[in-house]
Amino acid sequence: MNHTATNLLSRAPLLLALLFVALFVLLPLAELFLGTFFSDAGFTFSAWARLFEDENLWKQLLASLRLGLAATTISLILGGGHAWLTVRRDLPFGRVLGPLGIAPLVMPPIFVAMGFSDFGIGSGFWPCAWLLGVAHAPFVAVLTARGLRAADGRAYEAAWLLRGRGRAELALLRTISPELLAGCLLAFLFTLADHGVPEFLTVKGKTWHTYAEGVYSRWTRRAVGTTFEDLQSPVVAALPFIAALAGLMWLTLRLRAHAPDRGTVTPLPIRPLGAGRWPALLLPLVYLAAGVGVPVLVLTRWVLGSAQMAEPMSIAYARQSFAKAVDQGMPVFENSVWLALAVAALVVILALPLARLVARRWQKLEVVLALPIAIPAILLGVALVNSYVDSKVMRAMNDFYSGWGFALCGYAARFLPFAAIPLAAMVRRQSLASEEAASLVPRSALSRSLRIHLPPLLPATWSAAVLVFVLALRELDLAVVLPAANATAVRRLANAVHFQHEDWSGVIGLLLLSTAVLVPLLPSLLAGRRLSSLS
Amino acid sequence: MTTALTVTDLTCRRGEFTLGPVGFDVPAGGRVAIVGPSGSGKTSLLRCVAGLERIGSGTIRIGDQVVADGKLHTAPDRRGLGLVFQDGALWPHLNARQHLTFAAPSMTPAAADALLERGGIGHLAERKPAKMSGGEAQRLGLLRALAPEPAVLLLDEPLRSVDVHLRDALVLLVRTLADERGLTTVLVTHDRDEAFALATDLVVMHEGRVVERGSARELLANPSCAFTAAFLANAACLPTTPAGDRVETPFGAFDRPAVHAATNGAATPSDSELRLVLLPGDVSASPADDSPAEVRGSVLTSTPTTDGYQNRIALGDHIVFARSDELLATGLPARLNLRSTPRLLPWQTAAH
Repeated sequence: MNHTATNLLSRAPLLLALLFVALFVLLPLAELFLGTFFSDAGFTFSAWARLFEDENLWKQLLASLRLGLAATTISLILGGGHAWLTVRRDLPFGRVLGPLGIAPLVMPPIFVAMGFSDFGIGSGFWPCAWLLGVAHAPFVAVLTARGLRAADGRAYEAAWLLRGRGRAELALLRTISPELLAGCLLAFLFTLADHGVPEFLTVKGKTWHTYAEGVYSRWTRRAVGTTFEDLQSPVVAALPFIAALAGLMWLTLRLRAHAPDRGTVTPLPIRPLGAGRWPALLLPLVYLAAGVGVPVLVLTRWVLGSAQMAEPMSIAYARQSFAKAVDQGMPVFENSVWLALAVAALVVILALPLARLVARRWQKLEVVLALPIAIPAILLGVALVNSYVDSKVMRAMNDFYSGWGFALCGYAARFLPFAAIPLAAMVRRQSLASEEAASLVPRSALSRSLRIHLPPLLPATWSAAVLVFVLALRELDLAVVLPAANATAVRRLANAVHFQHEDWSGVIGLLLLSTAVLVPLLPSLLAGRRLSSLS
Repeated sequence: MTTALTVTDLTCRRGEFTLGPVGFDVPAGGRVAIVGPSGSGKTSLLRCVAGLERIGSGTIRIGDQVVADGKLHTAPDRRGLGLVFQDGALWPHLNARQHLTFAAPSMTPAAADALLERGGIGHLAERKPAKMSGGEAQRLGLLRALAPEPAVLLLDEPLRSVDVHLRDALVLLVRTLADERGLTTVLVTHDRDEAFALATDLVVMHEGRVVERGSARELLANPSCAFTAAFLANAACLPTTPAGDRVETPFGAFDRPAVHAATNGAATPSDSELRLVLLPGDVSASPADDSPAEVRGSVLTSTPTTDGYQNRIALGDHIVFARSDELLATGLPARLNLRSTPRLLPWQTAAH
């Protein structure tokens, strides 16, 4: 193969990745936006004018903002407290409890909701804030812990000697504030975007609604709308919020970019908790119990037959549950695992060339890549459906819209930022001079990519793939909208409780959690390597 | 004599900085150092030659082949150059042997081991960069650049990250390997000692331009501009004021040179740019007395030498190196006397 051909071949992954972003992120969103201005009669602002007359929307926006603030406060207390106690203080079992701070991330928020509702948590504002706060606390826990580990112990001790303990602690708080705020903003964004949990609680009798719920309910009612304004109302209602979310996302990225990355530093001195050492265990235990313990306990109880009134819980019933799961639930479980594996693989393949492009040449592209985080998943799903439900091009591709290919692309579009952004940060940390040294070597661009550029990124690539796998496995909002993804385990589980299928649903839920935990542990199990944090 | 590298009227923009137009050539087998202070554009020039930066205009020719002009840009890997980076720029995941076999596709592992042995790091063949010292890493960087047998070897401040006591060994290795292969070498550095050790000819750069070029001895003995004397020989370059056919200086009036005799390609100096160039041996110092006509400076440091004391003396905004027979008190005034007739040179010439 000649030089030009191999160079073209080496650029193909980047071109395909850019094409993917154009087709599955930018095109759907652009179509969605432009569609609000064009009725059958031509250009109009009528759909937007109606936005300002819709009192429900403003109520929902306010409810979402209140919910976001309350849930983020809970995430800050639980996640931030967990990180502070396990990294900074001499908490008993701190070295074991510390890495477990990320554990609730493998739990779909809907499982947390189902778990607590089984104990009769209720359906008001605070129960919803508690559930979402617990579900998103890992963002705060992981990023705060990272900030504390990157803080320089010598700088802390210098401040302590000069200005006393209190000022030193304040200075430390300022040092880690970019990481802490980034964690809180992520928790806030995910709370605002969450449709599944508030919708689940609605079924349980909730009397107030969030913004993401509003988008979905408008969209599901669009078929009965008789006017252009009715049809466009879900989209128009969504777009102002996206601007705010995108602004927050941009701020989060900037904060992360300014976070300290000082390489090897002297660790912070561990401060003793004194008499409060054992009582302090309460916070991490409450956090882990709420985020992991309760949902696992409830799923286990379902497996044992807790939802059956006729007979008490028993091992014999658990056997029946497993038999039913194999019979009725195994296909959806397999669908979920295969879809999550395919999404992780596709996202990594797309993210690697995009990350290099962002890190080395086109930094502004990062904002575009971050868009799917800023957009509620339910709306991204709506945009994808809008664009592809009746696409002539895709119709020629033999039912692409209703097949797994569309679900795969939708999920990959949603989770691309979770791989592309951390990988771009990792590329930035690689020596540019080393890459330039490789460019002088008489080898093909492909050979240079595979032998020089890729190997240093492999650990970060594995972490990103695991993160995307876990997120795809627990994704509910897209599964609600994309046709094929309706046949995934989380979607079925969210429905199963309404149809008295808790027994085998519990089995599938536990299997999902086991899979989400085992995959990150694979390198340790197979190669005996120390597991690095997903942060 | 054939030329291995010819740079003609090269310009290049990097952000706010504009390089050039610059030009120089290097004969086959020659050893040239491009020297200048930080920000003078020497690294940009080297990167343009290597193909890591696109040039705006001008041409770069390697041997007979044009590798870059305003439109053409030959990729770095197709220019037949080797580049030794400042900090080694090694590949962290490859061991020493893999560095060489990747850099030279036709090189066998046995040949790689032989080259590592030749470079004095044969015992590190299996070792990765993280487990090497600064000197070992820089040797590997040099051997990696030599592995594909380039026509021209470029060196970007190769001694910068090497301990002082290891520098001589690395200089010897570079010169030996280059001589064995008949290599043309182009070094970029702001360190005079590094330049004198590794090169026979110098190209002096300042503010994106070549100000002077010539052999190291020639430029030291007979610089055509004050900047070269200041940079290469620590000369103090004092401002002058024109006064008819003469120029006024802090040390009195001197005849204005009609045309500077040994210009090394320099243009005719203009009066406003003329500087009184005081080399370290040109001035002596002694404790100040009350004579009103004397030139006085303030002693910054006074350090002993084998035949007296070497003093750094502040004269206005300038620092003059002056010898004295006795230790001068730091902070006190000292009298400065000319020991020989100083030169009047333009601050900067345009050699290109």
